[in-house]
Amino acid sequence: MELTKHWAARLEDYAIDLAWSPDGSLLAAASASGPISIFAAGDGAKLHDLPGHEPGTNALAWQACLASAGQDGSVKLWDAGAGQHTATARLGTAWVEQLAWDGPLLAAACGRSLKLLNPDGTVRHSLDDAPKTIAAIAWKPHLGSEAPESLAFAYFGGVRLLDPAALAVTREYPYANGIQALAWSPDGRWLVSGNQDPSVHLWLPARDEELHMSGFEGKVRYLSFDPTGRWLATGGGQDASVWDCSGAGPEGREPAMLAHDAPVCALAFQRSHGVLASASKDGAVHLWSPERSQPMRATIRLPAPAARLAWSGDDRMLAIGTEQGSVFLLRVQ
Amino acid sequence: MPDPIPVTVLTGFLGAGKTTLLNRILSEQHGRRLAVIENEFGEVGVDNQLVISGDEELFEMNNGCICCSVRGDLIRILGRLLKRRDRLDGVLIETTGLANPAPVAQTFFTDDEMRAAYRLDAIVTVVDALHVARHLDDGDESVKQIAFADVILLNKTDLVSPAELRALESRIRGINSVARLLPTRSCDVPLDKVLGVGGFNLDRAAELDPKFLEPEQPFEWAGAYLLPAGIHEIVIGHEEDGEHGGHEGHEHHHHHHHGAEDVLDLAVLPVSLPPGLGGSDPATPGIAAAEVLAARSFSAAEAVVAEGGTVVPGTQLHRLSLRDAHGRFLLGIPAPGHYLVFEDCGEFPLHIQVNGQTLRPAWQRDYHFAHEHNDDVGSVGIRQAGDLDGTRLNDWISSLLRTKGGDIYRMKGVLSVRGSDKRLVFQGVHMLFDAKFDRPWGSESRTNTLVFIGKNLDREALMSAFQGCLAS
Repeated sequence: MELTKHWAARLEDYAIDLAWSPDGSLLAAASASGPISIFAAGDGAKLHDLPGHEPGTNALAWQACLASAGQDGSVKLWDAGAGQHTATARLGTAWVEQLAWDGPLLAAACGRSLKLLNPDGTVRHSLDDAPKTIAAIAWKPHLGSEAPESLAFAYFGGVRLLDPAALAVTREYPYANGIQALAWSPDGRWLVSGNQDPSVHLWLPARDEELHMSGFEGKVRYLSFDPTGRWLATGGGQDASVWDCSGAGPEGREPAMLAHDAPVCALAFQRSHGVLASASKDGAVHLWSPERSQPMRATIRLPAPAARLAWSGDDRMLAIGTEQGSVFLLRVQ
Repeated sequence: MPDPIPVTVLTGFLGAGKTTLLNRILSEQHGRRLAVIENEFGEVGVDNQLVISGDEELFEMNNGCICCSVRGDLIRILGRLLKRRDRLDGVLIETTGLANPAPVAQTFFTDDEMRAAYRLDAIVTVVDALHVARHLDDGDESVKQIAFADVILLNKTDLVSPAELRALESRIRGINSVARLLPTRSCDVPLDKVLGVGGFNLDRAAELDPKFLEPEQPFEWAGAYLLPAGIHEIVIGHEEDGEHGGHEGHEHHHHHHHGAEDVLDLAVLPVSLPPGLGGSDPATPGIAAAEVLAARSFSAAEAVVAEGGTVVPGTQLHRLSLRDAHGRFLLGIPAPGHYLVFEDCGEFPLHIQVNGQTLRPAWQRDYHFAHEHNDDVGSVGIRQAGDLDGTRLNDWISSLLRTKGGDIYRMKGVLSVRGSDKRLVFQGVHMLFDAKFDRPWGSESRTNTLVFIGKNLDREALMSAFQGCLAS
């Protein structure tokens, strides 16, 4: 496996989020202090500087169009190719930190309130307040043609499933602690939370079963499934762990430990292939093939820890945004 | 890992002056990168500052128990504030007037990320001198805000009389004997008194009021007088204008009246004093023995003495009946010599007159009075030389936190543990506890200093349990 630096660029501040355009031609990078830069993936040319949010941008999501969420309590929608702001949805006074598209439907959480937005920024639905601030959201995967079946959202105390067509909460899973991250397996079988306590909890909604894995060093903030849904990567401490979710699931199984020399701070499996990228606080980014006996494939050392890892749609490019505000685009062969 | 970012927590009732203080800090510290997390009703009015609104969201870890709760909004906001290229120089957190400070403090104990990245520098409580007495009578929260404080700004002192101020200071001291208490008019304190004070690590142990660490006594003051045999007079209360005896009598003002109005408990004991003992020299063995006797007298039944009645030396406790805080009594002295006069309350000026002349005490001392608090929240301090047995200390603290953690708001200490040449510095909030060895003792004497602030604390039990941890 060969990694080559394709280009690098600088942001004004910490790279709080990255998002690829659906066709893979553009990369959006948000600076924690607000501005959003649009780069041409091909040559790294900065096409547009969008103002983002005051006093800070929190998250990006790009599907029907580029959406950003900020500390101003709003979601903004952008025509990134043209560098134009198209709409603003003011959701409240709390920060908007969670943002996720499913087709033409954008889910956003502002404090305790969950909203479903249209690509023109209008609010399609406002859900009743959750008991606590919504800390993570995740759409249940489905085949492209189907309408979304379920949106999971987590808060301190539990996870709820929303049916976006009926606009009704269909399930509620209590969990008596803070939840840092949520992920569905790509086959929709597992719903996983990374927790503050620190642990990983898994639900099998179809069979009403739950599994629990504890013993992590720190809060489990990073979760990523491989495209088959068999391998779950978790980060909650020094090493990345990869769990086998086949059959009865990972509870009681030993995970593969992928060693880092510092706490893990980002994880991302490729979208349709099996390579996992994991980053740690010492600036290292490792690429792994977890099912191999010698899993490590490549290592990059960055001048600052990676804050975000984002694979391009074709898995040929890995974008990395760092805590010092650098953006690197690496070509993977 | 860079040094943790200092966090200052501002508490206090609505209108006490938190926002005034916050605005002063921001305008005077404009060169520093400070972030302010204000409550949802906040109104900080300084431009170009990072001001974030929190919503005081509680994460209750254990069935809603406040001792196990942390502030979820702070974890979220402080976590986000780490995501920036330039590090912050400090964070200020303003709480609402009714907030319990415990979850704020606990946030910095339980969350590993918060612990690593931030350091709780101090809890600063702003108190409105005009209204705080009513708030203390009304509810728990203002008592807790004072109990949790490292620094207390007694603000708006221009709105109360000096006597009211003294009474208030005494009441606040009764709750929290450890905090730095600063009287102010409009929060006009030098900022180095509220920022960077390291209040949470008791490195300021040396600044503690030494009286606070002494054993409590049931009396507040004692004076030794050289008296001839005969019948003399005890005069209580301020004398008429013009006749005032000046500095000769006992007239200190920093305590309010603890007991019933218009009575004063008094005991007179003979004592032998070495010649040349200075006015405030340390107690001699003779004085110490008299203190022990007097402590017993003050716990025994009293003899009521009406105006004009006679007080005689001995272990009998006398309760003088006063009228409007004044009274004249006789003092019958059988043999010439030194006598120690103990009184339970220093509010009343006390003068001994021989042939109409007011005597000056040859020696006198204020004691750490065992306050009979109206407020059931108070402080217990222990200072003792010697090394502790690590295992016994650990067992004691664990069981103390398990059984009394709900009532112990804060504790801090610097301890000397056998087998380590370093100081063990510990601090706790309710059930949470953090201890680490910091610097070597070096030439410093190995002395244990502990402070507990909380509700219904049993000084005797804490003291004897602590002594049980001393290495034999």
